Amino acid sequence: MLRLVIAVCAACAIAVLARAEEFTFTIGSPVAAQDFRAKVAAFVFRTQGCPDPAKSQIGATAEGLVKGVRRSVALNVQAMSKPGVYAVYQTWPAEGQWVVSLKGTCGEANAGAIVPIGPKGFIRESAKFFPRAATQVEIEASLKALSQSENKGENK
Amino acid sequence: MFTRHISRQLAAHLDGELAPPKAQQAEIHLRQCARCRAESEQVRQGMQIVEHLPLVEPPEAIWRSIEAALEARRPRQAQPFIRWRWAAVATAMLALSGAAYWRLAQPPGAQWEVLRLAGSPSVAGKAIRGAGRIGAGEWIETDARSRATVKVGEIGSVEIAPGTRVRVVTERPSEHRLALARGEIRATISAPPKLFFVDTAAGTAVDLGCEYALSADERGFGLLRVTKGWVSFQWKGVESLVPAGASCRTQPQAGPGIPYFDDAPESLKQALESFGFEKGGYDALGAILSESRVRDTLTLWHLLSRVEPSDRGRVFDRMAALTPVPAGVSREQALKLDSGTLQRWREELAWTW
Repeated sequence: MLRLVIAVCAACAIAVLARAEEFTFTIGSPVAAQDFRAKVAAFVFRTQGCPDPAKSQIGATAEGLVKGVRRSVALNVQAMSKPGVYAVYQTWPAEGQWVVSLKGTCGEANAGAIVPIGPKGFIRESAKFFPRAATQVEIEASLKALSQSENKGENK
Repeated sequence: MFTRHISRQLAAHLDGELAPPKAQQAEIHLRQCARCRAESEQVRQGMQIVEHLPLVEPPEAIWRSIEAALEARRPRQAQPFIRWRWAAVATAMLALSGAAYWRLAQPPGAQWEVLRLAGSPSVAGKAIRGAGRIGAGEWIETDARSRATVKVGEIGSVEIAPGTRVRVVTERPSEHRLALARGEIRATISAPPKLFFVDTAAGTAVDLGCEYALSADERGFGLLRVTKGWVSFQWKGVESLVPAGASCRTQPQAGPGIPYFDDAPESLKQALESFGFEKGGYDALGAILSESRVRDTLTLWHLLSRVEPSDRGRVFDRMAALTPVPAGVSREQALKLDSGTLQRWREELAWTW
């Protein structure tokens, strides 16, 4: 019985530690970067749970739907003065519906996020976060949801 | 050997214009004569300074005065060579004096360009038509129908709204400072923090890399509204940090109010007005706390250091209920207003703003 209790406690501890070490993204408005260069960014994000942010690999694409045509634009994320903090600047067209897909690796760990972009900027409440890169299906679903909400006028 | 001092030959000697025997004699004399050595050193330093002077176009009036002086001397033709040398020296001296006078007469630093956008804005009391310039100490003023843009050195621009009076205080690369006497300006600055300042009767807006509108009347009642980046508004040790999307009222003898997001509930804004400037006290604080959303931790963070010490716990608890307190921030340190703790907390909260 004692062994069982110890095993359960150990499993819980490992789960908590794993959770604490989870590699994830956090998104924020440009002011969160505390860096004047972020002033004109669409949004900023940071990595968490990566012991050495300098060694993480970060990438981003803007995925859009313009007049019914799917578009994809590779983005350059700019590292800010604080380690692990990056800015995303709008280099995608203004027309159409767009989401930004973030993906990153830190050693063996992966993280992904889909950040919808509305007429007033990024939509924090609709952003999705994954312990891996977002799949094409998830990106298409986010674009569809964004398109539907804009048609309903929810993001204006 | 020279038995007399060589003051008159020093310049030629240093320029290498003395014939070799005389140059050699001068060298020997300099080794033995402390007074001439000191003079020689002074002349050499003077020549070095002259070499480093910037080339400046002399004012037109100087040429006219030189021509007039030459004209007056023309009848006397004796010793033309010596006279031309004196004329050249006089010309150089006048040019240098003129340049020095011109330099001293100008305000320090480069002047900023002013562009008229509408009506008849004026700089130093003179209406500008298309474009003009403004220097330190000068005022730019717009009437009810005038607007203008001032290019702030290399770091941005300031639009001057109608009915505004602004003075350029400093225009150095390390400090660009305006004084807003009344009216409204809209600043767009692309530079590292703390290079652009605007003084008002209620305090100073310090640019932290931003775009903002600042209005004020002569007494200091005003409003700061930030559209991009951050602005710090400071008055006698009181500081409000205002991010994009937020505003802050200013009041004389009170400095900056507590910032709030423009999309905050009206009830929160009213309670804030009451608390900050009307001594609304306990009830107003209660309304602020109950109306706050996660994003309004901007307001609560500022409140923490402005409420009575006995009320800090209420503010802390509301903030903690709205969003998790990050690692490194303890209740005890926060209630003591530990600066490191408060900064750490603000930087973490900014991810929700």
